[in-house]
Amino acid sequence: MSPVWLLLHCRALVDVDWGRKVTFVSFSWGIEKRLEALVRILGSVAFAVALFVSFQLTFSQTSGSTQASTATQELLVVHGARIYPVSGPAIERGVLIVRGRKIEAVGAEGKVAIPKGARAVDASGKVIIPGIVDTHSHIGIGSRPSVPANEDVNEGTGPIQPGLRALDAIYPGDPGIRMALAGGVTTANIMPGSGNVIGGQTAYVKLRGKTIDEMLIPGTIGGLKMANGENPKHYGRDNQAPMTRMEIAAMARKEFIKAQEYKRKWDDYNKKVAAGEKDAKAPDRDLELEPLVEVLEGTRIVQHHTHRADDIMTVVRLSEEFHFRVVIHHGSESYKVADELAKHKIPVTLTIVDSPGGKLEATQAEFEAAAILDKAGVKVAINTDDYINSSRFLLREAALTIRGGLSETSALRALTINGAEMLDLQNRVGTLEPGKDADFVVLSGNPFSVYTKVLETWIEGEKEFDRSRSEDLRYATGGFQIADRYPKLIESSMGGAR
Amino acid sequence: MRRPWASTSLFVAAMCAAAFGQKIAVAGEKLYSAGGNHQDGKPGVVLIEDGKIIGITEGNKIPDGYQHMEAAYVTPGLIDAKTTAGISGEYNIPADQDQDEETDPNTADVRAFDSFNPSERLIEYINSFGITTIQVAPGLANPVAGQAAIFKTRGPNSQLMTAEQMVVKPISAVVFDLGEIPKQVYGKRNKPPATRMMTAEIIRKALVDAQGYQKKWEEWNKSDKKDPTKQPASDLKLESVSRVLSGEIPAIFNAYREDDIATALRLAKEFKLKPVISSATEGYLMRDLLKTSQASVLVGPTLERLDGLETMNASLENAALLADAGIPLALMTGYESYVPKNRVLLLEAGVAAANGLGFERTLRATTIDSARILGIADRVGSLEKGKDADVVLYDGDPFEYTSHVTAVLVNGKITYQAAGSK
Repeated sequence: MSPVWLLLHCRALVDVDWGRKVTFVSFSWGIEKRLEALVRILGSVAFAVALFVSFQLTFSQTSGSTQASTATQELLVVHGARIYPVSGPAIERGVLIVRGRKIEAVGAEGKVAIPKGARAVDASGKVIIPGIVDTHSHIGIGSRPSVPANEDVNEGTGPIQPGLRALDAIYPGDPGIRMALAGGVTTANIMPGSGNVIGGQTAYVKLRGKTIDEMLIPGTIGGLKMANGENPKHYGRDNQAPMTRMEIAAMARKEFIKAQEYKRKWDDYNKKVAAGEKDAKAPDRDLELEPLVEVLEGTRIVQHHTHRADDIMTVVRLSEEFHFRVVIHHGSESYKVADELAKHKIPVTLTIVDSPGGKLEATQAEFEAAAILDKAGVKVAINTDDYINSSRFLLREAALTIRGGLSETSALRALTINGAEMLDLQNRVGTLEPGKDADFVVLSGNPFSVYTKVLETWIEGEKEFDRSRSEDLRYATGGFQIADRYPKLIESSMGGAR
Repeated sequence: MRRPWASTSLFVAAMCAAAFGQKIAVAGEKLYSAGGNHQDGKPGVVLIEDGKIIGITEGNKIPDGYQHMEAAYVTPGLIDAKTTAGISGEYNIPADQDQDEETDPNTADVRAFDSFNPSERLIEYINSFGITTIQVAPGLANPVAGQAAIFKTRGPNSQLMTAEQMVVKPISAVVFDLGEIPKQVYGKRNKPPATRMMTAEIIRKALVDAQGYQKKWEEWNKSDKKDPTKQPASDLKLESVSRVLSGEIPAIFNAYREDDIATALRLAKEFKLKPVISSATEGYLMRDLLKTSQASVLVGPTLERLDGLETMNASLENAALLADAGIPLALMTGYESYVPKNRVLLLEAGVAAANGLGFERTLRATTIDSARILGIADRVGSLEKGKDADVVLYDGDPFEYTSHVTAVLVNGKITYQAAGSK
């Protein structure tokens, strides 16, 4: 657990404006960016240490309930299943040991020491994979049912909305969240929609808890949703900007240039403070620009909706100009520029749909995209864009990428660790390794068979979904607001068929 | 690339080889005839001549003089019991959307046949997934939506084909739309229907008027026909609705919610129609009534977006529960309004198969049972002597998403062939 992690943690919980000073290195960056980031880190190391110390108290108070001492943490041993740790090859008869919220050990039966006093769960004949990481979701913010009263995805009143936070509109009680759990999703990047050039701040959550604070992953500040192509052009219909792709790009550039200036002011101020200038005057805060500064500093990743190959290259161009980290979302034509994306080390998270079209920029979508990108060396994830695809079918979307030529191993990575890396969560989730969050899914069989069922979904050592419970089953097979008679009807007529 | 319209020379060669008059033998390690004279799941060979099936032989022995194709699984061509593919194009722009004539809540006179675009790429796309027959129906907006038609699909390199050349049945049903959509489309313009009451009223009126129309014509036909001024005026709308009253073609009621399904069944009873319910999202909650009404169901897509209130009780087990109750059913893909533009019946079938319907019942619901409900079982739906040679070849369980369709034949012609397949 690095000081930086702690600082970010505090940033999320305390919401003070020093978050801009935090910066760190991602291994997915090019060497130039890494050096740049390193310089920035050195520049602010003293500041960071000071903050680390001053906020330790805050940290231990705010998250004390989630960090119980190991002595009182329950021990769980799941054994007998074929385990896909993703960090290594599948283990035919595996053992997964969970202590409290974390994974303690993973290995083959007989090779892992079973601690005394552990609760044992026999999962023989079943399959375990890491909890699925959905890099692009609208659950809880795009409601089920989709009625205007509950719908909060797109703030369609202006194309630049960096100040908006998805977390202020997520309804933890939305049935869509429980349906996603039934699909094996444990971590999600819940985002504003793609109707705006800058749509707002996304939220990195676990699918548990009654409040957004319980859902948010500690230490995360989320990404920045941006979009180009057809969707933001909708303003043009009302004779407002943007009407063209040119204006979309111009608007984005303008905002980042403003953010650069804003950052400069704060850097000057902080320098003065550090130099002991007592009468240094803090610049006025700007809620719209703060998240963009975080993007410029690399602590907030741009999560960019974009379909057509030229729109994707516009994103690449912007990320080069402003040196920001970016993930391509949807990327319907990303396979056409796979080499460019590989060269720039820009990852892609694909939304896999049954058939092409529905909008012009998605008519070239292909099941083969994931395989082409993977082969070119581009990091690929697969997302739901729930409600575009139901989260209950994310495993099946991955099966379609296998139909398109992707290997099962790569498809599994695309559902887990690759997505985790796109959200800077690779140290917490995405594989079954000691020290990581105990997020895993128990399946009835081969992960990519259409006949396989998600039996259980576990988040941080807690079983959040259990298909054998009728109140959970309705979210796996039924709609999002099932009449009370539903389980009875099913049970009486289906009997033991399931 | 899977994209079927990306043509290859290999494909052209295959097309030439499969020219009319050619004899083709399709061998399947697991052959499913879906009602033909064959033990399904065992090896078998489908013999094709002049576009028709001339027989099935057990085992894997290929008679002399036949072009040879083979696959792990072989099934009849799949039938999508109701879709808008062909009248609703993949671009989803006004230029290629012709499924909803939202200018009049009663458009009984419009025919899907007249909007069908044989060159629509979605047709080729679904053909590459083994869907060889589609019932194309007007959309979801009008209480009396118009006339459906049944077509064969085509491949990317089929010679320019017209709707006439692809059609199986130019007028296959009259479609009635209930529920949220009609009242939303018209209600927001302050036009009827703004409520479900009015939707039912519009349908009843259309049926009552058609009864009167029928009566006038019967009287005229019985008369000496000497005074032409007494001949009833021809009315395309009334003529269209008359066809369902006479039982010539089925009435398809598109309904999602329980009470809308009940409304459809009530109307069917009043006018003595043999009802077909499409979508039927809450059908599993209505099994007794569906059964006593002798209704058939075109089960709506489970992958469909659960958008509005009327789909909130959707169940992946809908098809299985209806089948368990002995209600005749077929699977359909219906209409998609956004990305993706179309659902693919084969992928829908996978969800149904995995959620209680099982392999064989799912196959029937996408082949022979569907053909029976649509009234085209004399031509398609099973691999039987005398039927159209619509055959699909797969490299694995057809319903597994990781399997591939390796080749598709429509009327004995190869319309799709994956690169490298035999």
